[in-house]
Amino acid sequence: MSHQGSSKASAAIRVTAILAAIAVAAAFCYLLPRSNGLVVFPADWTVDWATPLTDWMKYLSRDFDVFGLQFAKITRFLGWLVSQPFEILGGVMGTGFTFYRVDAEPFVIPPLPWTGITICIVLVAHHVGTSRLALWSAATFLFFAVFGLWESAMLTLSSVTIAVIIGGFIGVLLGVLGYRKPWVDALLQPIYDIMQTLPLFSYLVPMILFFGFGPIAALMATVIFALPPMARVTTQALNAVPNSVKEFGRIAGATRFQRTWWVLVPAARKQLLLGLNQLIMLSLAVVIVASLIGAGGLGGDVLKALRSVRMGDALASGFAITFMAITLDRLSYAVAMRRHVHETVTRGWLQRNKLLVSCLAAMAATIALSTVLPALHTYPDAWTVELGRFGNGVVSWISSTFDAQITGLRDGTIVWFLKPTKIFFLSVPWAGFVLVVGVVGWALGGWRLALLGVAIFTAIALLGYWKKAMISLYIVVLSVFASMIIGFALGLWGGLSDRANRALTALVDILQTLPTFVYLIPVVMLFSIGDFPAFVAIVLYAIAPGIRYTAAGIRGVRENLIEGAMMSGCNRRQMIWQVKVPLALPTILLGLNQVVMMAFGMLVITALVGTRGLEEVTLVAISRVNPGDGLMAGLGIAGMAIVFDRYIKALNRKLAHQLGLPVPK
Amino acid sequence: MTTQKAFLECKGVWKVFGPGAEDFATNPGGEASTEEFSAHGLIAGVRDASLSVAKGEIFIIMGLSGSGKSTLVRCMTGLHELTAGHVLIDGIDINNISEKELVKLRRKKISMVFQDFALLPHLTVLGNIAFPLKVQGVPRAEREATARKMIELVGLSGRESYYPDELSGGQQQRVGIARSLTTQPEVWFLDEPFSALDPLIRQEMQSEFLRLQAMLHKTIVFITHDFDEAIRLADRMAVMKDGEIVQMGTPEEFILNPANDYIREFTKHIPKDKVLKVGSIANGSDAPTNDQPLQASASLQSVAEQVIAGDGRHPVIDAAGQVIGSLHRSELGPYLL
Ligand SMILES: Nc1ncnc2c1ncn2[C@@H]1O[C@H](COP(=O)(O)OP(=O)(O)O)[C@@H](O)[C@H]1O
Ligand SMILES: [Mg+2]
Repeated sequence: MSHQGSSKASAAIRVTAILAAIAVAAAFCYLLPRSNGLVVFPADWTVDWATPLTDWMKYLSRDFDVFGLQFAKITRFLGWLVSQPFEILGGVMGTGFTFYRVDAEPFVIPPLPWTGITICIVLVAHHVGTSRLALWSAATFLFFAVFGLWESAMLTLSSVTIAVIIGGFIGVLLGVLGYRKPWVDALLQPIYDIMQTLPLFSYLVPMILFFGFGPIAALMATVIFALPPMARVTTQALNAVPNSVKEFGRIAGATRFQRTWWVLVPAARKQLLLGLNQLIMLSLAVVIVASLIGAGGLGGDVLKALRSVRMGDALASGFAITFMAITLDRLSYAVAMRRHVHETVTRGWLQRNKLLVSCLAAMAATIALSTVLPALHTYPDAWTVELGRFGNGVVSWISSTFDAQITGLRDGTIVWFLKPTKIFFLSVPWAGFVLVVGVVGWALGGWRLALLGVAIFTAIALLGYWKKAMISLYIVVLSVFASMIIGFALGLWGGLSDRANRALTALVDILQTLPTFVYLIPVVMLFSIGDFPAFVAIVLYAIAPGIRYTAAGIRGVRENLIEGAMMSGCNRRQMIWQVKVPLALPTILLGLNQVVMMAFGMLVITALVGTRGLEEVTLVAISRVNPGDGLMAGLGIAGMAIVFDRYIKALNRKLAHQLGLPVPK
Repeated sequence: MTTQKAFLECKGVWKVFGPGAEDFATNPGGEASTEEFSAHGLIAGVRDASLSVAKGEIFIIMGLSGSGKSTLVRCMTGLHELTAGHVLIDGIDINNISEKELVKLRRKKISMVFQDFALLPHLTVLGNIAFPLKVQGVPRAEREATARKMIELVGLSGRESYYPDELSGGQQQRVGIARSLTTQPEVWFLDEPFSALDPLIRQEMQSEFLRLQAMLHKTIVFITHDFDEAIRLADRMAVMKDGEIVQMGTPEEFILNPANDYIREFTKHIPKDKVLKVGSIANGSDAPTNDQPLQASASLQSVAEQVIAGDGRHPVIDAAGQVIGSLHRSELGPYLL
């Protein structure tokens, strides 16, 4: 009793402190002139860390040498090393190889025929999954061919494949290291946190410096960006292997190597494959954005089409990316979920490797047949369907028919929500903002959390990014708000109705499969560029966890609590609002956390449609080859994301504690 | 059997979890209660356990959940560093040997069966059973031949190419047992091997276990939380509580002389006539006998009808036919309830 009393009292103190801090901050606004240093961060207080960082990186990439070996040579060698398998794979799948003989006559080895590749994919899909998956894969690859996107699609696929192989290999190694040495894990975790929240654009500039403009730099950036989740999953998966299996390894007298690679890793196989699924999806998303630095492929097609306002082409490539994403996701998921089934009779090599043999046979057959029927080898240009004119027509028809609604929605939202919020964020005095961040942090999780928040926002001010950061923040906050409201409403519906839940689950599955970049295509077509399309894209992308976690939270309320409430005579409405929703709150908050993280993830890409926050700095840094600015601004975004993450987690712990529920994971 | 030389020995084994455990266990630890340990942030998994197991003997460690059985067996296999004490296997102090020698000992001399089977999900039955040999670098053909013999031994023929999750719990544990026998270990540890199984299957597996032991004569440390199982399988047994061994002896000794109320509670519902042997209650007096002789090693239950039906006093003879005592129906009363 007394414990509860004291926790109530301290809660009251905390709320009072927060209100007081807000009051002080508000007082700043009215009492201090804008010329005061506590309102607008004075330019001469800022420090320039970006320029020295840029200089240092440029020095590193040009003149720095390790033991007499030029660093640039090392990176170029690394790039060359990676480019070999990449070029071979790209050549085999899409472009073929062209050599020049001494007499300058080109000598061409053609790539594998498109029909052969399609048949192989279908065979694999059928082997690991259902016939439906096989059918879907067939449709996807036919789509590439019919719409003239075959070569781009194969290039993207090759990039993803190479990135996944390298990222998977390094990720598993790092994960094993983290499992074996807890201190390494403790050291790596915060680094992964930053790596995962650092905007992709920030990686691209240094990669250009080290590897030159082009697909290899994009590939390297992809690997680095997609690596942390794989390493994390590996460590978790190894930790989750049952203790008895680990002990068995030791009792059997296995060496450490044998225990790791013969016992632990295979025992964790399923979770590792699920991690690989994540790695694939992330790599695809990144490879597409990396088209900015010349990765080519489907992402490059979209970018080119958007820049020259060929909406139909952008749409076709966008669909191609979408279909590829869904295919890769379902395929790799099917592989992860595959159960071992014994073989009924001991069979010969041919039968045991049926898949391999039939793939090789299909390839040989299509190659042989294509000498007679060239269309089997290269999809004839004459047969490709041009979506260009048709797509443009559709898009312009939509925008002219619904012009009133579209502009109404856009301008209404801008006037009523975007503008006021932006003005508010820009007018808040920085010192007041930092004060509120500190006090809220203290109220949620004590002085260490407060210190983290204060340090990060002060650093942003010091670096001279305050205004840009506020512009980023306003879009994120508004999008998160909208995502949570819509997501909560839909999730509640899904939590209460089974049918709604099935439909929503299917929707959320698709939303979570699509690469970020895809979301930009329709919004640009409908709403052109600016903060509004960015806002819509972020909401579309970030809404999925809002829906999913709300529904899961409502569904997860324990039966005995519901029965108890029913006994005490709750009606349906009271049951929902006074029992289910409050008890689902910790889970919903977990969803909020994900929504915020995804909103930041999308924010960094919206620079492409013309937002003006920190993300713009990271984008501009690419064209100016200015890694210092890109990294610093990126760290600013990462810092803000991390502050949100820690604050929401602390809030969640508090709430779960007060409701007497376990802290959800 | 108890007269034979000990093959596996624990001498004053302590296992205390928590920081600074060494000092506490060796100093005031001997007297400390569970509360005093936890006041220091320590948990006493095993306290001062001493026992010895003879070659070919089935030694059962029984205790309720959390009483320290698994901790003790982990000490015996070197999975845990001891806080204090010694464990000797075939005269080797396993805490005083190099990592390399420990690996060798584990490969050649010991093996273990786990409660949750601990099979490798990616290997077939054959692959799982051959695995301990693979670890030792035995060539494929040879280790698979050995594994096939083991599969036959545990009655899983025809299931060689199945994967663990295609098998029932009982079948999985048969794989676990076969796997633990492929290296022909001398000491066989089984940590609650049948606890995860349904009662009927459990009985079947217990019989199977006794059948195997009759063929193989391993030195066995078998852990269970089931007193009936302990009584049924044990040559000798120990009961643990809060990390301490409360009583140690043959099943008959437990029935005849429970050390305290805690043990008495377990023995109460055990049908005594099933456990007790004629020899252990035979009257040592050389009163004149006038009825059929009885084998000392027979259970009371098996002779009860015969003894009750007759009026006379039966001579009791040992395996060699020597008379070691006698029995009259009036002496059976206390054991037949
Ligand atoms: N690694 C460990 N760290 C801390 N405490 C442990 C550890 N292993 C076991 N214990 C504790 O030791 C006691 C005995 O556990 P255990 O030997 O597993 O019991 P049993 O096998 O008899 O159920 C329990 O209180 C358990 O919590
Ligand atoms: Mg146990």
